[in-house]
Amino acid sequence: MLKAKTRKLLTPGQILLSLAMVLFLLTILIPLLNILARSISDPQQSPLMKGLEVLPRGFSTLNYRIIFGHKVIVPSILNSLKITLIGTLLNIALTTTAAYVLIHRKLVMRKAIMGFLIVMMLFDPGLVPEYLVVRDLGLIGSHASIILVTAVNVYYLIIMMRYFEAIPGEMYEAARIDGAGHLRTLTSIVFPLAKAGIATITMFYAVARWNEYFKASIYLTQQSKTTLQVVLRQFVVLSDTVNLIGSQNLAEYNEFARVDYAALKAATIVVAIIPILLLYPFVLRYYTADIMAGGVKG
Amino acid sequence: MSSLQAKPERSRLQRALRQMRLDWVLYLLLAPTLAYFIVFRVLPIWNMRLAVYNFSGRRAWTWAGSKYFDLVFSTPLLFDILRNTLIISFMKYVLLFPFFALFAILLSQMQHRRLRKLTQVVSYLPHFLSWVVIAGIWISFLARDGAVNQIGTMMGLAPVDYMTSKAHIRWVLLLSEAWRSLGWDSIIYFTTIIAISPSLHEAAEIDGASRLQVVRYIVLPALVTPMITMFILNLGFFLNAGFDQVLNFTNNAVNSVIEILDTYIYAIGINQGQYSLATAVGVIKGFVGVALVLVTHFISKRVTGEGVW
Repeated sequence: MLKAKTRKLLTPGQILLSLAMVLFLLTILIPLLNILARSISDPQQSPLMKGLEVLPRGFSTLNYRIIFGHKVIVPSILNSLKITLIGTLLNIALTTTAAYVLIHRKLVMRKAIMGFLIVMMLFDPGLVPEYLVVRDLGLIGSHASIILVTAVNVYYLIIMMRYFEAIPGEMYEAARIDGAGHLRTLTSIVFPLAKAGIATITMFYAVARWNEYFKASIYLTQQSKTTLQVVLRQFVVLSDTVNLIGSQNLAEYNEFARVDYAALKAATIVVAIIPILLLYPFVLRYYTADIMAGGVKG
Repeated sequence: MSSLQAKPERSRLQRALRQMRLDWVLYLLLAPTLAYFIVFRVLPIWNMRLAVYNFSGRRAWTWAGSKYFDLVFSTPLLFDILRNTLIISFMKYVLLFPFFALFAILLSQMQHRRLRKLTQVVSYLPHFLSWVVIAGIWISFLARDGAVNQIGTMMGLAPVDYMTSKAHIRWVLLLSEAWRSLGWDSIIYFTTIIAISPSLHEAAEIDGASRLQVVRYIVLPALVTPMITMFILNLGFFLNAGFDQVLNFTNNAVNSVIEILDTYIYAIGINQGQYSLATAVGVIKGFVGVALVLVTHFISKRVTGEGVW
């Protein structure tokens, strides 16, 4: 039995396939590990590091000490966390209630409302028309702008409706007979029974909130309100080291002369990835569990 | 009650009103969501009329007629931008597209379970990284001392500055898109493959079919429908081409070959403050985009029975 299994794994085709896949995985893992290794290397040795190196040269926490003591980056991390938390709560509150309402087939005007939402999903009015609305509301510069402007995603709303529709109709019926109102049904029937679905959509919303940079870069005009992704873009993508991490800011550190900008950028990237890595196991657990556990026979 | 019996045939309107009165809590629950769409989607759509006005302050719009549309169509740049948009879309939605299904097939053929699971865990991850983070990683990956040039040097090639090379940057966009979505976008095909009945595989095995024959005669036919659906859906995104990605991968050296409609709207609208002109470009793009989606929706319904929504 075991022998037959081993023989199956050792065919030339399987070996070739495994090698190709490992090679592909390395194209993802090496750049990520290289970034991590750079960020924790000794700043005197990190500038010499090549792209294929995945182990740190020496060890130093300097880059992280600079980041977590930096007067632009630290507030930006806190702002990102705040927007992600409040924003995701708003997303879920609106998406679950709207999905619950829209699965009622008898609801008058249901078709019209669904049609309206689908048009809203398909038709993008564009950047400037939306910007003018946010400006007219006086929201430019406040976190409310970014939190409100992406309050509901129609695509996720439709997926949420699918999850709610999967709850057996008798459950709704039983709740109705017991005299439960809509709010009661929502909290004691729908939420517990659609837990996995709600968790999945929460993850997707939270990831989108944390990763949001473009609207944040337009609407959050003051540096004190900005988010980590915007700072990351300014620093890493646009290489704006003068304004952000200029020597004036670094003068507070005795070791500032030793800083390797490439390594400091790497450390900022790592900080931006960490929350995603924390959420990732949950995404795998809820969203891709079947795909991961299943598999093809033969 | 007696009146009810007297008039059993009530009008549809009355029944609807009665149902609405019963469901008032539902409308209340839906109200915040509808309010959101009205404020942040309908009002912007109303603002799109700015394309035919001059903007000179919040309440000071003056009629401009077709001035901005004329300006858009007389801009020689527009042709280049449209061409860039279509080329990049073609590379992503036509050239890269079959590889998602191929990846799913290869994954399904892996016998080593743990390696297959590892492949899934690692390959889905980049989908969750923002384009800012990915651009940061790729800038370092493609730098002179980065992994790609290191391998190139080992093979005796001269180092290349890929991020600032007009000849390479579109391929950089294609490969970074593949890096980000090869795993995740293959899920739809992978679920199709694992949904194929195991008895089909068993029958094939009994008949002495080789692995390649199984793929050719069982797996591939099952993938045709989702592939057609995805291909048609992608046509609806042809004018988008990936704004977030391009914005983070672009720089002065290469912008002329990867400037797309959305980055152009951003540049003239937000950076230069030419609101009316940017809106006019957006109006054209918006309507062509909706037309593409509608056409593809109906083609898709015809061909596969599945629409965009």
